Amino acid sequence: MNSKVEQLVNYIMKHCLWQFHSRAWDRERQNREILTWTRNILCGDSEVPADRLDRCHWVDAKVLANSYRVHFPWISELGTTEITELMKNVHERMDYLTITGSKNLELTDQHY
Amino acid sequence: MPHHEFDCSTCIPERKKHAVVKGPGETLADALPAGYLSTIPGSISERGCAYCGAKHVIGTPMKDVLHISHGPVGCTYDTWQTKRYISDNDNFQLKYTFATDMKEKHVIFGAEKLLKQNILDAFKAFPDIKRMSLYQTCASALIGDDINAVAAEVMEELPGVDIFVCNSPGFRGPSQSGGHHTICIAWFQDKVGTVEPEITSDYVINYVGEYNIQGDQEVMQDYFKRMGIQVLSTFTGNGSYDGLRAMHRAHLNVLECARSSEYLCNELRVKYGIPRLDIDGFGFDALSDSLRKIGLFFGIQDRAEEIIKAETERWKPELDWYKERLMGKKVCLWPGGSKLWHWAHAIHEEMGVEVVSVYTKFGHQGDMEKGIARAEEGALAIDDPNELESLEAMYRLKPDCIFTGKRPGEYAKKIRVPYLNAHAYHNGPWKGYEGWVRFARDIYNAIYSPVHQLAKLDISKDEIPTGSGFVTRCMLSDATLSEETKNAPGLRQYTGKFDVIQDLRKKTTADYPYLRQDSLTQLV
Repeated sequence: MNSKVEQLVNYIMKHCLWQFHSRAWDRERQNREILTWTRNILCGDSEVPADRLDRCHWVDAKVLANSYRVHFPWISELGTTEITELMKNVHERMDYLTITGSKNLELTDQHY
Repeated sequence: MPHHEFDCSTCIPERKKHAVVKGPGETLADALPAGYLSTIPGSISERGCAYCGAKHVIGTPMKDVLHISHGPVGCTYDTWQTKRYISDNDNFQLKYTFATDMKEKHVIFGAEKLLKQNILDAFKAFPDIKRMSLYQTCASALIGDDINAVAAEVMEELPGVDIFVCNSPGFRGPSQSGGHHTICIAWFQDKVGTVEPEITSDYVINYVGEYNIQGDQEVMQDYFKRMGIQVLSTFTGNGSYDGLRAMHRAHLNVLECARSSEYLCNELRVKYGIPRLDIDGFGFDALSDSLRKIGLFFGIQDRAEEIIKAETERWKPELDWYKERLMGKKVCLWPGGSKLWHWAHAIHEEMGVEVVSVYTKFGHQGDMEKGIARAEEGALAIDDPNELESLEAMYRLKPDCIFTGKRPGEYAKKIRVPYLNAHAYHNGPWKGYEGWVRFARDIYNAIYSPVHQLAKLDISKDEIPTGSGFVTRCMLSDATLSEETKNAPGLRQYTGKFDVIQDLRKKTTADYPYLRQDSLTQLV
């Protein structure tokens, strides 16, 4: 499990920018929304949100899920429960690297 | 990630926390260089000032504006024409700049009357331009000139004009980043929402953090228009003042340079509910993903895929030709703030080069997080670098080329390391699919320049070859390639034009079938 999580986390770190918004609360929201949508899409959910803020998270998730399927074919063989567990671990790891374990001192600045 | 201490900086122990080496298996939670701290006096930093960040970087690319600095003429002179943010109105903002030329007597007796007269004179000299941006400098700020009050007086006397006031004197922040912050917040608070635009598409974006360096914005705008998207405003490259006052009506903020303008996107999200989508305009894969995301947002992803397919088919064979010849070359990615993370992974993956060092002159810790995340193991990451450290790094790392500004580039050349201008480019634009190939070509030309190869020889001790007088780049680059690679079918050198922007400007609405016919009047 750990090596699979690291593969998925490394992919995000190399290719994505959504996880590095300005403040801790922004990063909590980004990680939560985008990784939840990614899990849903990988589990076959085809909902497209109407609200534009949700939709912006969804597009990042949609492209990420598609990239995961292309670069990590093993993910298509996983069932819903396994995907959910996997993405939960990815979420925890991302929260650690970008928020709770981050050495970025600006994350807690109250103003933009 | 151990912190890296430069030999030349042992006398400045606080510099140690500003550099790390990305070690094997290490993560961002292990170490991160300090960032956005006060510049250490005497360290010969590469930074500029907050006035420069506000005016030179963000304010002046606005194309239909009189940009006037209230201060000594040197501030204005040093921030004029030295950055290639072109515009499609014959580069008005590059050709003309304005200064109140404060002298010693103004410092003693005040300069508000001088300012008011200069503003009136500027509007009189250019009667067709009704917009102005006014910048505070150190001199006028220290004596307490109230430039807001003067601007308000003029706007009352000349009802048709609008003046944006930016209070960002040089000392306002530790670097030009302080100026970016100031002008973004000021523009948001004072100007956004004061104009109602004409909406000509169902798909409306602001393109934020894009400064049209050598035409980057026009390349990207072409993709957006091909998708039928209205670019309501561009902050600020090739952008119009009134277009930027209407930012509040966009459906989506597409953000390129987060370092300089994420503040604006964050505030627009909080106040107007406009989402922020961070994109990369550099690199085939990253750009393709960016266009896909924008297409998905509006439900027009098929249009994005059309562009991706056409552009990739046209330009990938040329990119791959350069990749074969750049494989394994060492480069230092030493820009100002955001290109260290826009480029770090893309140039490694798509051009085959090894990024041995990344740095940022005025970036924050967030930029370092992105840059280190995207760099490979072993990369030396430096915050707020200075001249001596850069020289020491080049002697140690022995890069084949560095991408940096023209000032550090000059001392790189003196130790025979070729450089490419990462801020204003050599032969850009470098955004877009064709632009990325142009970048690869410039790297190739720099590394395999016969003149640079010759410059590496020391006539006082090296053997100077006398048998071969004629050398070309291809002879140098292909010397170790297999016949199969040299003759790979379909791969070819860059076949584009010298100036790619003129053809874009000649396009009409007939070239954009997805745009509505009445979109000619859209604000850009």
